[in-house]
Amino acid sequence: MRKSSRFVIAMVMASLMVMLLAACSSNNNGENASGAASPAGSAVSSEAGSPAASPEDKPSLKRLGVWQDQDYNAYPVAKMLEEKTGYKVQYDMLPQDWTEKLNLLMASGESYDLVSMFSDMALYSDYAQKGALIDLTPLIDQYGPNIKAAISQQSIDALKVDGKLYAIPTSVTYDINSSILIRTDWLEKVGLQMPTTTDELVAVLKAFKEKDPGGNGDQNVALTGKGDQAMFDNIVGAFGMPNTWNEVDGQLVPRLMDPAYKDYVAFVADLYKQGLLDREYVANKDATAKEKFNSGKAGAIIVHWADIPTISDALTKNVPDAKFAFVPALKGPAGKAGFSSNAGFDRLTIIPKASKHPEDAIKWINASLEPETFKNLAIGEEGKHYTAENDAYTPILPAFNDERNLANNFMSGADEQSYPLYWQARVRKNPVMFEAFDTLNNKQPDEVKIQNVLGLAPYMQQYSKSNQQLEAMVTDYTVKLIAGAEDLSGLEAFQAKYKAAGEEASAKEVNDWYANK
Amino acid sequence: MRGKKFGDLALDGGIYLILIALGLITLLPFANVLSKSVSVEWAIVSGKVGIFPVGFQLDTMQFVITSEQFLRSLFNSVLIVVIGTVASLLITALTAYPLSKRELPGMGIVIVLFIFTMMFNGGIVPNYLLIRQLGLIDDLGALIWPALISVFNLLIIKSYFESLPPSLEESAKIEGARNYTILFRIILPLSGPVLATIGLFYAVYYWNDYFNPMLYINSMSLKPLQLYLQDIVINADTSSALNGSTDNLMNVPPEGVRSATVIASTIPIVLVYPFLQKYFNKGVLIGSVKG
Repeated sequence: MRKSSRFVIAMVMASLMVMLLAACSSNNNGENASGAASPAGSAVSSEAGSPAASPEDKPSLKRLGVWQDQDYNAYPVAKMLEEKTGYKVQYDMLPQDWTEKLNLLMASGESYDLVSMFSDMALYSDYAQKGALIDLTPLIDQYGPNIKAAISQQSIDALKVDGKLYAIPTSVTYDINSSILIRTDWLEKVGLQMPTTTDELVAVLKAFKEKDPGGNGDQNVALTGKGDQAMFDNIVGAFGMPNTWNEVDGQLVPRLMDPAYKDYVAFVADLYKQGLLDREYVANKDATAKEKFNSGKAGAIIVHWADIPTISDALTKNVPDAKFAFVPALKGPAGKAGFSSNAGFDRLTIIPKASKHPEDAIKWINASLEPETFKNLAIGEEGKHYTAENDAYTPILPAFNDERNLANNFMSGADEQSYPLYWQARVRKNPVMFEAFDTLNNKQPDEVKIQNVLGLAPYMQQYSKSNQQLEAMVTDYTVKLIAGAEDLSGLEAFQAKYKAAGEEASAKEVNDWYANK
Repeated sequence: MRGKKFGDLALDGGIYLILIALGLITLLPFANVLSKSVSVEWAIVSGKVGIFPVGFQLDTMQFVITSEQFLRSLFNSVLIVVIGTVASLLITALTAYPLSKRELPGMGIVIVLFIFTMMFNGGIVPNYLLIRQLGLIDDLGALIWPALISVFNLLIIKSYFESLPPSLEESAKIEGARNYTILFRIILPLSGPVLATIGLFYAVYYWNDYFNPMLYINSMSLKPLQLYLQDIVINADTSSALNGSTDNLMNVPPEGVRSATVIASTIPIVLVYPFLQKYFNKGVLIGSVKG
């Protein structure tokens, strides 16, 4: 009895396994078949598109956007766009942790007409190569004059996958992210000027350490940082390596292979040794480093300008007469200076193969990029949401916050000329933040804004595959060098390891592209 | 003699003190989040808030628990937990009862089939397609019906049923009771402890589930609390590469709001435990079979 029932169980298990395998493989067949069928399908539909372009015939579109804390459909921009474009759009949104769900929706062929996502080039290229997206070039030629005017050829080239364009980008809107934020009231107390060279920076940090202008005693910190950041913005630029890959003799070279790497590490390691860089730097997290600056214990910190409002509120509560400013580009020993200047995209809008109305999706995007509509979308109506003075747009609060703060989530592509200017209205919501932003982005001379050329590079397989891991390796190693756990004598051995870990293949790929750019 | 006793006492006291201290340590992170939720924001970001609040205020908490989205999410979660737990308990018990009757033909195979689903499943995409075919996308049903039976819980109830003395049923049958009467009038009332335990398992599962809502729920008005919480907490992680958009950086909710949201969404489920406590204390078979 017992034996026979075991046998039955085994049989049942085996047959279930077979069924499962069969189900999986038939599933695959199905996917392949639909993949093969759809290019033909889209070709047919784009031909059929032109006669169907009568003005009355506007289907309702389904658009998937990134997460926001309010319902898209109830947000005022949705209504404005419906009035201006004549299209009814049903908005859905991804969760905050979005990649998994987007993969799922794409894999299951959910019929969204538009998907607007953060600019994840690896994901985008993957979708494009697997045939999940519609080639937009013919559609834009036919229905997208405003799109053509808004998006530069450079951006289009950067987004091409196998010669075809599958996304409409929203480009990044400003150049510089972060620099050293320094306590200017401490500068006054120690009687020094804002530093302009790395040597002057060292002198200032020394004075901060020795004279303790904040009266913090043994908790006093001159410059604080966090342990997952090895490349200090501004300082790393003074050594000619503002970006992760920089040009050396016409070739792009990652920082670790850069001849200036040794000098940079020696400089920062010396700061650490002298106690000018936070002793707890290696253990600091982002929040701990900020806490030190916010509580008035640190004289300088490296932060993004978007962190300024929180810092400003907290610091002035702790130290009422505290003042701070970003340090402008510092000149290094070899006379170099610079910040990494953003290039590339903030968002990408794609049209999945499963879309039922690809032409109308493009027409909708085109209508939203019509200059007047786009301006209304970006910053609202003059006098109601903003005031304009020359090219400076100042938001009217709270109307701007209530009705346009999330407007950028409704964009499917943005005008590359006008949007960066409109966009600054968002930064002007907080005057302290704007001042910091202005110092970095508007007041710095162009020659210190060194473009991150890889931001506009097309998808590169080797580079995408190994980039993250390589960066982590460098950060880890550099932090050890700074803290004295490793010695520069081992650099060559580490460089060899780094090359083998994928740098060699990436560098070839990157420079093949760079040479023919 | 006396000295030894005193030594024992001191030792016991010492052990108690150490254990109590260790127990209290586990409360520290909770205390930290709790005090952040009632402190002023500038003190939080300056690293001044530890176990005790600095600049006590309840505005943040009030802002969080009166926000429309929070209340709606809380309502959704409570609805899912109540309907889900009751339905799950009922269906699981109904399934476990026949499975506990080893003498019924084919039960061994049926149990193996159940266990099979514990080890193998279709994966995310097939599940999604199934839910879509069932018309349950963007429907709270998608969070309840597929999870009605947890095989693990089923097996626990089954073995509990098996441990009940067969003489109970025999005597009921002699009195003329039918199967349903036996299950609902005799077996289930005797199963208080196991049902309470499994009910708690189910309630906690439904309460904590964020992954399924993330996949199946699109409308904001249908999001349960855990998904709402996840959105808020991840949002604040500005260094994550997921959301590298500067506009997100400028709209990060303050640390205090996040802490208050965490607290506000934890307390309801914590409150459930004391209410179920009494079932755990009761004996299993008080006065059912004598002799």
